[in-house]
Amino acid sequence: MTQHRRPAGLKLAVLALPTIAALTLVGCGASSDATGGQTQEFSLTFATSNTVESPYEALAKQYMETFPDIKITLNPQPNDSYDQVVRTQLQAGNASDVLVTSPGSASGRSILPLVDAGFLEPLGESAAALVPEGSEELFGPNGEVYGLAPEITVVGLVANDTAITATNTAFPEDFAGLLAQCGPLSEEGKSLFAVAGSASPNTGLLGMQLAATRVYAQDPAWNEKRSAGEVTFADTEGWQRALEAVVLMKDAGCFQGGAEGAGFDGVTKALVSGSSLAAFIPGPSNKQLKSTAEDQDFEVRVLPSEGGPSEDFIYASANYAYSINAASRNKEAATAFLEWLAEPEQTKAFAEIDGALPVTGLEGYDFENSAYKNVAELILENRYAPLPNSEWANASVYDELGSGVQGLLTGQQTPEQVLKAMDAAWDQ
Amino acid sequence: MTATSQSTNHAVNRPVHEQTRTAQASGSVHRVQRMRGPDRASKRKWGLEFGHWWWALPGIALVFAVHYMATGIGGFFAFTNWSGIGSFEVVGWKNFEAIFNDPTKIRSLGNTLFFAFGSVLLGNIMGLLLALALNRVVKTRYALRTLFFMPVVLSPLATAYIWKFIFDYEGPINVLLNAIGAGHLAKPWLADPQWAVWTVLVVLTWSSTGFAMVIFMAGLTSVPVEVEEAAAIDGANLLQRFHHVTLPALRPAVAIAMTLGIVQGLRVFDPIMALTGGGPAGATETLATEVYKQAFALGNFGGGAALALVLAVIILFFAVIQQRLTRSNPED
Repeated sequence: MTQHRRPAGLKLAVLALPTIAALTLVGCGASSDATGGQTQEFSLTFATSNTVESPYEALAKQYMETFPDIKITLNPQPNDSYDQVVRTQLQAGNASDVLVTSPGSASGRSILPLVDAGFLEPLGESAAALVPEGSEELFGPNGEVYGLAPEITVVGLVANDTAITATNTAFPEDFAGLLAQCGPLSEEGKSLFAVAGSASPNTGLLGMQLAATRVYAQDPAWNEKRSAGEVTFADTEGWQRALEAVVLMKDAGCFQGGAEGAGFDGVTKALVSGSSLAAFIPGPSNKQLKSTAEDQDFEVRVLPSEGGPSEDFIYASANYAYSINAASRNKEAATAFLEWLAEPEQTKAFAEIDGALPVTGLEGYDFENSAYKNVAELILENRYAPLPNSEWANASVYDELGSGVQGLLTGQQTPEQVLKAMDAAWDQ
Repeated sequence: MTATSQSTNHAVNRPVHEQTRTAQASGSVHRVQRMRGPDRASKRKWGLEFGHWWWALPGIALVFAVHYMATGIGGFFAFTNWSGIGSFEVVGWKNFEAIFNDPTKIRSLGNTLFFAFGSVLLGNIMGLLLALALNRVVKTRYALRTLFFMPVVLSPLATAYIWKFIFDYEGPINVLLNAIGAGHLAKPWLADPQWAVWTVLVVLTWSSTGFAMVIFMAGLTSVPVEVEEAAAIDGANLLQRFHHVTLPALRPAVAIAMTLGIVQGLRVFDPIMALTGGGPAGATETLATEVYKQAFALGNFGGGAALALVLAVIILFFAVIQQRLTRSNPED
């Protein structure tokens, strides 16, 4: 009998222990919920991709220094997997209280699909006041705002002006001059542009920048028309010319050797070494490059248009935003943090740390002593638009553009094929 | 009543688990069954099996909950338009229609089969040659075996990045070509539409050769030296001995190496993602890389799940073939 009772007791113990443990845990959770009101503690998730100081981290630390009774738990995530991590955490209900998102619908962290799924909390007047003109629809539906824009990101070229000076030539002023300059540079073993052909985000930027003057400067409402089905990529002459320009640039020797297989590391290396003079990367990269090569001068420039300086057009918009998780239990503390971030001192500090333009007070900004002096006129004359892909139907359209431009560089695809693939992705 | 029948009746009246214990103690269940007639034997057999099955229950439940239930739920999403967040609708076979109507997905399917069969074929040939070379005689064979098996042990992602550096436009291969005056042959190997698939195949073959080598070396141990010596005495040359003595003995090893290699090759993901990311312009895209892109990068979880289901069916097909080829008893 003893032999029989012992296993039975053991079985009971085996069953009872996890049950008690589970009940204890549930009890702890319930207790936490019961007290669960607003606390002076919240968490912040943001993307990071290099060792340069993150403005999200810097501002959070500054906030904790200013308000010592508040604790922010920082959750930096690798940029490559950021979208996936944030979506999974939001879906699972364990995302941070404050998240870094992107206006529009172009990526996994974009505000509009996250709002559609009910994951974000609407923000107040201070966030609405920072929405750049013309970008209202990217920050939320029905006039509501779900993201606080911390800076304006100019997306054009980042050029190594020290290397340009060393070539004893001026940076070209129009597209014809650009093509003419590529050949001689190529013969010297240099290239006008460095492209990360194997990185879709970079080839996509190249394609979009060529479309700036050919499509969006002439028809700012092109995206709305595409959404309404009034136009297509394949039938738009501007888009055809934009992608044909990629082939023209390739044939003229504008890109570095092996550009079709290069990565972002290759672009950085080419720019810093001066073997390439410019790259299609976001403006804030100028600061990161400067930190790598302090003896060189990196400036933000616009890709020369076919019609010269008078027709130049650039992209500038708030590419990232702070949002509050709708399921957050610390909304009050999170909202207070965002209110603080919206103050001019903080927006200025954020832009300075990141090497971007401040989201407010551009009229009084000292362009002459910044990396943005060559694009000051375009910004002040309002000759810019938000990055077009932020208004595209889904992330696949931009992926098709990026992959297609690589196909143009390798000769695998024609502009017509790429544009048709973009249309197919839009309509899927 | 004889002493034997009394003993039998006593045994029948005992609880089943005690009988079981007795049967196990006696060393043969069948002997006990023969002693007590068919009905009672079947009861005892059930009791015995039930006892074993009961102990496996937590494990079985865990496998079902963690593996099969998750797979089943994933399979369900293949019939929805879920983006990965929020609500979804059931769309029937629409995702599968989209896959088979999209030339890029068909190309991915073709690439998947090409890489799986190509790497298995080349890996097995290389593995067999290495196994034959390192089977006997060579003094450094133990060190060489370790060296050739190492790619199997190393992280595929880490080694893929090393290969990426080697095949880079400014990498050692092109530097060497330039140094010997063959600079015109230098190219971005991983971004060249003609060369990219072959470059990836080289890396996959390199990583699968060691695995095939080990299987063939195990198979070679079953080849009797006496038979080989007899064949040699009978005048068979090296090729004839390989063809008529070694290869027939290696047939089970070939079946295992081929089928396991194909199943591994069909689901290969990290080396391709690290080497080319599926490029240039989709030239090296496989079903596995497409699954990742659709489900996690492009917010088309339903489409990604459908692709994963297609890949799972293909792998299942080859896994069943492997099971049939490698089962030792034809009556199993």
